[in-house]
Amino acid sequence: MIGRLRSQTIETGKFLADWMEDRTGAVTQLEHFLYEPVPKRGAWLYTLGSATLFLITLQFLTGILLLFYYVPTTDHAWNSVYYIMNEAYFGQLIRGIHYWSANFLLAVIGLHMARTFFTGSYKAPREINWIVGVVLLLLVIGLAFTGYLLRWDQDGFWASVVGIKIGSYSPFIGPYVTHFLLGGDVVGPATLARFFALHVWLLPAMIAPFIGIHLYLLRRHGEFGAEFEYTDRISKLHERQREEGYRQHEFEDDEEYDYDDELDEEGGTTRHRRDDE
Amino acid sequence: MAELQKDPMTRGDFLGFGVMGVIMGGIITVPAAAFLLEPIINIDILGQSNVSDDWQEVGPVADVGVEEPEVFIVEFPLTQIYGDQEIQELSPEVPRSQEEFDLTNAVWLSWKAPILEQGDQGNSGDTIGVPERPAFLDEKREGFTPEEISEVEESLNILSNSCAHLGCPVRWIVNADGEGEFLCPCHGGIYDINGNWYGGPPPRGMYRYTQFEVRENGRLYIKHAYDVEEGIPGISTQEPYVV
Ligand code: HEM
Ligand code: FES
Repeated sequence: MIGRLRSQTIETGKFLADWMEDRTGAVTQLEHFLYEPVPKRGAWLYTLGSATLFLITLQFLTGILLLFYYVPTTDHAWNSVYYIMNEAYFGQLIRGIHYWSANFLLAVIGLHMARTFFTGSYKAPREINWIVGVVLLLLVIGLAFTGYLLRWDQDGFWASVVGIKIGSYSPFIGPYVTHFLLGGDVVGPATLARFFALHVWLLPAMIAPFIGIHLYLLRRHGEFGAEFEYTDRISKLHERQREEGYRQHEFEDDEEYDYDDELDEEGGTTRHRRDDE
Repeated sequence: MAELQKDPMTRGDFLGFGVMGVIMGGIITVPAAAFLLEPIINIDILGQSNVSDDWQEVGPVADVGVEEPEVFIVEFPLTQIYGDQEIQELSPEVPRSQEEFDLTNAVWLSWKAPILEQGDQGNSGDTIGVPERPAFLDEKREGFTPEEISEVEESLNILSNSCAHLGCPVRWIVNADGEGEFLCPCHGGIYDINGNWYGGPPPRGMYRYTQFEVRENGRLYIKHAYDVEEGIPGISTQEPYVV
């Protein structure tokens, strides 16, 4: 009885997976992601990208939850965060995750970038993925910067004042940057409204497609230094070396002739040089 | 090369597409861009401000002592989106919001101390003497004559507490020997009692209010306007944008 149930469940599962696979190819994709071949050395460092993806997903989920209670006005923002922290069920947990995950996200994205740099994963044909990564980094920095003001407490307020004033030192466009971020010529309701719009709509909406491109390009080229690519490259390298060796050999033969020709034709130059000395 | 364009395009087609593209592109982007860049249009191009242009009272100048500057809180009415006074007053019987939308500024007042030796921005601060407080203030706090008013106006330093570096609020700190200085909590910028640069990262002295008047009642009134200095010459100006 149990055995039959089990085999039937497995059958159904297989059927569903096959059905999905035929229509979307999702199973193969998932397989690629879950069984990514990576170099043996420092294999754990290859999880940093997934860690970043996990944290940013966490930001989206907890951020959406926070939005149910958070109010982006200067007279209620702080109170609504206070409410989240003291009244809402698991408010401290949800906000705490959003806060700590934001911090770790910045650290992990930096480490991920360092890994790709030190393993040389930015080289051809993966340059575009490096550039997309830089865009993602800037967007995350933008999110962290704009999120901090939303608490509308002393910490967030003064950090944002300092950040906005750093922008005011930009050459040529300093005042424009400042006034754009302030939403006016001083900090006020417009500043909070802007930072809110940037933090929960503009930047997340921009970051999502870039994450998509990042993952698509990863799938297209595979993990750099992966086993199959590695053996492939090494055999190509050997082949190139061998060819080079042959060419070198031929070249050496040729060179002797060239040398003689040159002496005949350009004897004058040689003499000239001697005069200089 | 990848062939996307199968039919060859004539010059007329090209021009037509170009003109239509510009028009359609304009219709789509101009409203959105103007909507988003409103502050830049209003402030940098039209020269408006969110802060009320009325005189605001600071306080009685006789309260400012010789040794130490005195801080006053000034609230400038602010008109930004829902903080706009007109919007607030549309339906007075239904208070939409508890908040009074003011811009709060801390203003430091001190008496000018004579500069004995001019310092050099970035290297050394000024050597200064004892601040000079008009003597008649010991006798009276109000009912100033026009001469007394101009004497007070000439000897006051009217400083914003917004640090000229990155805008943190500076405070007057007195050390164990009784020597005081304006100290910034963020990166340790230091200013002397005149508000001039003394040490640390700020590229200039504290911002001074440029529009002020002392009235017969012995009180100082100011508007929200500052002295502006060039930051990187010809490239940027340094304003106390954020206060
Ligand atoms: C990479 C993505 C993100 C980063 C780095 C980030 C960072 C931050 C930070 C640093 C804060 C201040 C929180 C605190 O100090 O307690 C914050 C607040 C907030 N964030 Fe995000 N955030 C991200 C994504 C999102 C998303 C996608 C949403 C919503 C769709 C969101 C909604 C909010 C809200 C409503 C607040 C205000 C409530 C509070 O202060 O706790 N965030 N964010
Ligand atoms: S903000 Fe005052 S020293 Fe940097």
